[in-house]
Amino acid sequence: MALIPGVLFTLLLCALFFSPIPWKFSLPWVPSLAIDFAVYVDGLSAQFLVLITGIGTLVFVYGAGYLSGHPKCTRVFILLTLFMAAMIGAVVSDHLIVLFVFWELTSILSFLLVGFDHERESNRKSAQQAIIVTGVGGLFLLAGLILLGQIAETYSIQLLLERAPLFLSDRRLNTALGLIMVGAFTKSAQFPFHFWLPNAMAAPTPVSAYLHSATMVKLGIYLLARLDAAFSDLLFWEYTLVTIGTLTAVFAALQTLYERDLKRILAWSTVATLGTLVMLIGLPGHGAALAASALFFAHALYKAPLFFVAGNLDHGAGTRDIDNLTGMRHYMPWTAATAMLAALSMAGLPLTFGFVAKNAITFAKTHANVLHLVSYATVFVSGLSVAVAAIASIHIFWGRDTVPRKAHPHEAKGSMLIPPLVLASLGLLFGLFPTLIDPLLGASARSISPGFDPSKVNAAYDIVPVLEATIGTIIFGMLVYLRWDWLHALMDRIRPFETIGPEAWYRRGLEALPGLAAKQTRLLQHGSLPRYLLTMVAVVTILTIALFVQDSPVWNWPELKTLTIPVLGASTLIVVGGLATLFVYDHLVLLLVSGLVGYGSAILFLFTGAPDLAFTQFVVETVFVVVVATVLVRLRCLNPEKIIAPKEPLLRPLSLAVAIAFGTTLAVLVLLVSGLPFDSMLTDFYAEQSLPAAHGRNVVNLILVDFRALDTLGEISVLMFALVAALPLLKLVGEKRR
Amino acid sequence: MTSRPLIAEVFMRGLYPVLLAVSFWILMRGHNAPGGGFIAGLLAVTASSAYALVFNSSEALRRLPLGPARLAGCGVLLSLMSGLPGILQGLPFLTHPWVTLSLGFFEVPLSTVMFFDLGVYLAVWGAIGGYCLMLVQALEEVA
Repeated sequence: MALIPGVLFTLLLCALFFSPIPWKFSLPWVPSLAIDFAVYVDGLSAQFLVLITGIGTLVFVYGAGYLSGHPKCTRVFILLTLFMAAMIGAVVSDHLIVLFVFWELTSILSFLLVGFDHERESNRKSAQQAIIVTGVGGLFLLAGLILLGQIAETYSIQLLLERAPLFLSDRRLNTALGLIMVGAFTKSAQFPFHFWLPNAMAAPTPVSAYLHSATMVKLGIYLLARLDAAFSDLLFWEYTLVTIGTLTAVFAALQTLYERDLKRILAWSTVATLGTLVMLIGLPGHGAALAASALFFAHALYKAPLFFVAGNLDHGAGTRDIDNLTGMRHYMPWTAATAMLAALSMAGLPLTFGFVAKNAITFAKTHANVLHLVSYATVFVSGLSVAVAAIASIHIFWGRDTVPRKAHPHEAKGSMLIPPLVLASLGLLFGLFPTLIDPLLGASARSISPGFDPSKVNAAYDIVPVLEATIGTIIFGMLVYLRWDWLHALMDRIRPFETIGPEAWYRRGLEALPGLAAKQTRLLQHGSLPRYLLTMVAVVTILTIALFVQDSPVWNWPELKTLTIPVLGASTLIVVGGLATLFVYDHLVLLLVSGLVGYGSAILFLFTGAPDLAFTQFVVETVFVVVVATVLVRLRCLNPEKIIAPKEPLLRPLSLAVAIAFGTTLAVLVLLVSGLPFDSMLTDFYAEQSLPAAHGRNVVNLILVDFRALDTLGEISVLMFALVAALPLLKLVGEKRR
Repeated sequence: MTSRPLIAEVFMRGLYPVLLAVSFWILMRGHNAPGGGFIAGLLAVTASSAYALVFNSSEALRRLPLGPARLAGCGVLLSLMSGLPGILQGLPFLTHPWVTLSLGFFEVPLSTVMFFDLGVYLAVWGAIGGYCLMLVQALEEVA
């Protein structure tokens, strides 16, 4: 299974080596909506591609060991392969809508993978939470992308970035960017949408390492970084990103202290890193762009192996609780070595790639004139990540082995050791020889911040000015590590504050939803036919009146024609029928009286030149009266007391008012329409064409069967389907009665 | 119902085919004079409902040429198929070609439009008639 990502990764590396980026091509996809499958690969996309396929390969290798013998192993690999395809699609596409489609695909696959072990209720809830949060964010994103596309008059990302200076002052731009940011924040677990990510740790470990640390959660970062090239000068953009990023980072760093589960600790520290990345994208300057791409890369290289380590511990020792894990180096020496390597990089010690990234961040901050608060926040966050690194390595593997164990812990097998070891060693290799990775980082930073000069990458490795900062964070981190248990107890005491957190609000919202739905269903679907009718007629009346008011039509009264006796008779019939319905209570009589209105209309049609219509009206009216009468008679035999009109005191007067308003509106409408000059274009066309084109003289029927035959076909199909839908219901009623 | 309306039954037995014949005539004349598939279909529905009133709905359902759903389905299918000859001649879907059939002394103009209208007729009869009859039938069982 690892063959697919492996081959892709190799091909990608070769391609990057031999053919200069950017690569682009485009295939028409939905031409009628101007959506092309446009592909554009620049430095940023290339960096993501390298990680998606590279880490993907190792995740597949690791997963083969981790899940071997699991009955649903194949399912995970299929989903992971699909996920990888969706990720690749998202980062290479040059069309906002295509990007969105792949974005949503990754959300769905994440849902399926989080809920992989779906027999546990907590896992199902976590999966549901993940898809609700990212799905709702996705809707915001879609709205934002469409708005942005309309402002820019293009959905092509590259064109949009080029044209950006032209529409930077557009009033709608902030709304569009705000919506897009909400989407990106949900995806990348930023405050206040962060809570789904630690819960998503219900997924199998390889999935967590791949989706919820290395790739998918960085898709939001990707989009922000992609757009940053155009909007980095907007204050709204800059401030929101820096504020939310910093807030998320600090909040998540604090949350790590709550946890005892190694995987959840790593998850919170991932959230903290994501926050830092968002903050870096928000910071102005080329240095920040470089820092973002370096941190992005470094994080993948140290966090994925640490997740793998957590998985190995789970397998070998049967627990991930850090209280029960100490002195594991005796049992799992190779895992211990891996954890050490990865932790060195995570702590940002010199000669590791983490150090390079941290330097770049410090460098970026000093050159971007950030608030001191932001600066302190990053120091705090780095300090805590040092502490987390210490927990994952020193505490677990080197602490004194004091915990009594039932089973003897054992080392993981080769396929679960090589992937983390490779990644962690790469972290060290790139730390020793940063020039190996420079071109990629430079190209990536150039996509985020177009003016960046790739030859200046080396400036970030200057040790001297940032050494104090590094030493400071390490000392702080070690202090936190030493006092970890005490801090944990302290955090436990302030746990009640969780009830005001965003997750509590999410839970409350979810719980309130069924009640709300029930209430509105009861309000709208009350099951009373008179009230339904009343609502519908009232709405139509109000809308029609609103149209009158809005368009203020020219009041052009038609010339009244002299009344002929048949027309007068027909009208009398209609009026008498209409009035009589008001005073009749018996349903059967009511039906017959209302039939008068129908026959009156038919006579009216007959004498005003519409014999076909009159004919149809006569027949329809007859069938209607006969069938309804039959039904009424039977119903009355069944339960006579139920057909009495509902006793609602307000219903009758209200109905009367609505009926009068509706009738008046319609009368005015008809008068207005007759007052307009009659456009006889269509009539003339049919009159002229009926004989030569359709070989007939009955224009009405020719329109039905020839000129507009497709409409008729549609109508009779609807008739047929209505019958097919009604048949089972009628059969059911008949059987119940039997 | 204990007593059967004997006169009405005898009368209805004769009237039913006449009503259907009339409806068919209205279907056929629809091309040049008031009429057509829709009206004719409704007339056939009237015939069926009247039959159901005098006898009962099950009898009326039995007098339909096919089951109601099948009748409606055949109608739609017939209308759909009537558009195919046009396609075969390279014309847009539902363009009705005409041919003139010579029968010695007089000529009969024929077209697929006739099949289309027949389809409408059957669909209306099957769907509306079927619905009415089934509705009455569902309520009839107890009465």
